[in-house]
Amino acid sequence: MKKTFRIIMLSLFIAQSLVLYIVEGMLPVPFIAPGAKLGLANLITVIAMYSLPRKRDACLILFVRVLLAAAFGGGINAFFYSVAGAVLSLGIMLLLKGVGKFSILGVSMAGGIFHNLGQVLVASLVVANLKIMLYLPILAIAGAGTGLLIGITSVFTLRHLKKLPIYKRMQE
Amino acid sequence: MKQIINKWDILLVAVLLVLSLIPEGIFYMTGNDAAVHDTYAVIQVDGKIYKEVPLSGHQGTETIPIKTDHGYNLVIVKDDTIGIVEADCPDKICISEGFISRPGATVVCLPHKILIEVKSAGGGEPDVIPAH
Repeated sequence: MKKTFRIIMLSLFIAQSLVLYIVEGMLPVPFIAPGAKLGLANLITVIAMYSLPRKRDACLILFVRVLLAAAFGGGINAFFYSVAGAVLSLGIMLLLKGVGKFSILGVSMAGGIFHNLGQVLVASLVVANLKIMLYLPILAIAGAGTGLLIGITSVFTLRHLKKLPIYKRMQE
Repeated sequence: MKQIINKWDILLVAVLLVLSLIPEGIFYMTGNDAAVHDTYAVIQVDGKIYKEVPLSGHQGTETIPIKTDHGYNLVIVKDDTIGIVEADCPDKICISEGFISRPGATVVCLPHKILIEVKSAGGGEPDVIPAH
């Protein structure tokens, strides 16, 4: 990718994930457990991971998104939760993608589970009570569920994205 | 439609879900699962911790006389409640506060600088956990 093209592609991805983050904040979500949410913004992370050849591009998109999301509506408290979730989920997703045996669905579901693991870990730290960890099974199921939906959406989006001429330029 | 999920994915998610039960198992094994609602009372004199008394599960009556330079108080732990029943301070407000048992509740004797506070084990239970 040329430098300018790369900057524009990354900004587009970041803008899209930010919009998803803000829209998600407007959606009423049934309260399952503290920290459980749709994670729509993660959709862009998964798509970026599978459409951009370099790992560090996906990392950059996620990091800037988390930073800007905190600036736009989360606040510093949400920032720490987001960072923990983001680092863990992207870490496991890149790892599993590297293994090569798992499809997008599996990778994205593992990402959802690890995102919620990050939430629970930070929550335990914040209230200094390890019993928050007892929420983990519920949150893991919720994370697998949202990860499944994100994965399915990514599969369909990528299928169409690959037909676009711009996709070839992204691979260069 | 092309197959988009394979057996490895299912295996992976199943393993992760089982792993998520680990904290549950640890708390079950160590047997302090019921301790979520454990309460204990902290008696402070002059800002320093004088005594900590476990409250939940406490049976019977236990008296704790507190004699300091400021005066005399008699603290009684009755089952899972705690209160001051005797004091030689002039206003006796601490006695009128009665017995307390819920986390966060306090009995104060200002003239004698005594503070009894009920706390829950594990650093308090937040009503709301901020998570995003």
